[in-house]
Amino acid sequence: MSLFSAISVSASGMEAQRVRAELIAGNLANADTTRTPDGGPYRRRDAVFTTAPVEGSFADNLAAAGVRVASISVDASDPERRYLPGHPDADKDGYVAFPKIHPPEEMVDLMGASRGYEANVAAIATVKDMIGRALDLFK
Amino acid sequence: MRIDSFGAIPAVTDSLRPSGGGFAEAIRDAIDRVDNAQAGAQSAAADLLVNGRGDVHTVALAAQSAELSLELFQQVRNKFVSAYQEIMKMPM
Amino acid sequence: MHVDLGAYLSYLTRRQEVVASNIANADTPGYKTHDVGMPGDFSTAFAQFTALPEETPGLVSRNDGNNVSIDRESRLLAENDIRFNLATQLLRGEIRTYKMAIEEGRDS
Repeated sequence: MSLFSAISVSASGMEAQRVRAELIAGNLANADTTRTPDGGPYRRRDAVFTTAPVEGSFADNLAAAGVRVASISVDASDPERRYLPGHPDADKDGYVAFPKIHPPEEMVDLMGASRGYEANVAAIATVKDMIGRALDLFK
Repeated sequence: MRIDSFGAIPAVTDSLRPSGGGFAEAIRDAIDRVDNAQAGAQSAAADLLVNGRGDVHTVALAAQSAELSLELFQQVRNKFVSAYQEIMKMPM
Repeated sequence: MHVDLGAYLSYLTRRQEVVASNIANADTPGYKTHDVGMPGDFSTAFAQFTALPEETPGLVSRNDGNNVSIDRESRLLAENDIRFNLATQLLRGEIRTYKMAIEEGRDS
């Protein structure tokens, strides 16, 4: 790996955190969605990260460990049930199934994704700076 | 502790060390080494550009070292040539 | 002790690459922080630094097994950058010195 593929690694980190942030945004937007096209309430989504080699790395160098979203996990547990008899989506017992999403937790998660994203941005800026200084050696 | 990344430009200084092979041979040897240094620097640069292999700083240092070797060689050669010319001017 | 700045730059480069990997994988379940071991000395000219990254001891793992500390990695990011800057400046000084020495001999 060289400094150039370090940039690819950081870019992969940015992409993964971005996907994660988008899913969280979707969770927040749908925190009260009781009816989806597939039927049933919205189910919380999360990104599953996995280490992934970055293209361009060579066998003779150390493997460039980037990251990618391996899959998007969908919450399969039973939804929250709240007693709201007048609700259009209430079942025969008067309960409505709500997404298992808690906005404060999602916000904390979002802050984590944002921090991770920014750290990758900082890494790219720093590595770019180092490459620039190495290029100065040609002068 | 010394910081000395170029090792006194070995391409030239090694060949000019007295080794009993005669002056012409020493110069030929120096030319070869300078040539190799240049070729090495160029292939390192090509490897980096084409294959993405290697580091910028390594290629830069190889290029600088090769250029310094060449400049040093040229200066030394010029000195020897002018010394030779001086000698040839001497009345016998 | 003879310090080869080119080898030092290679060490810093490898180290920074691993920091980038750590940062990218800061939220990957099970990922462990890696670092590049400092070599015993930097006296080999233009050594291609090939030490494999090792797992860094002494870091706390979270529930998902990940032990990356973004604080630590951010600090290393800045440190490596500063050291790289220092080393390249010193190298440029060396190159300048050699050039001057060679040119000085020209007219004498």
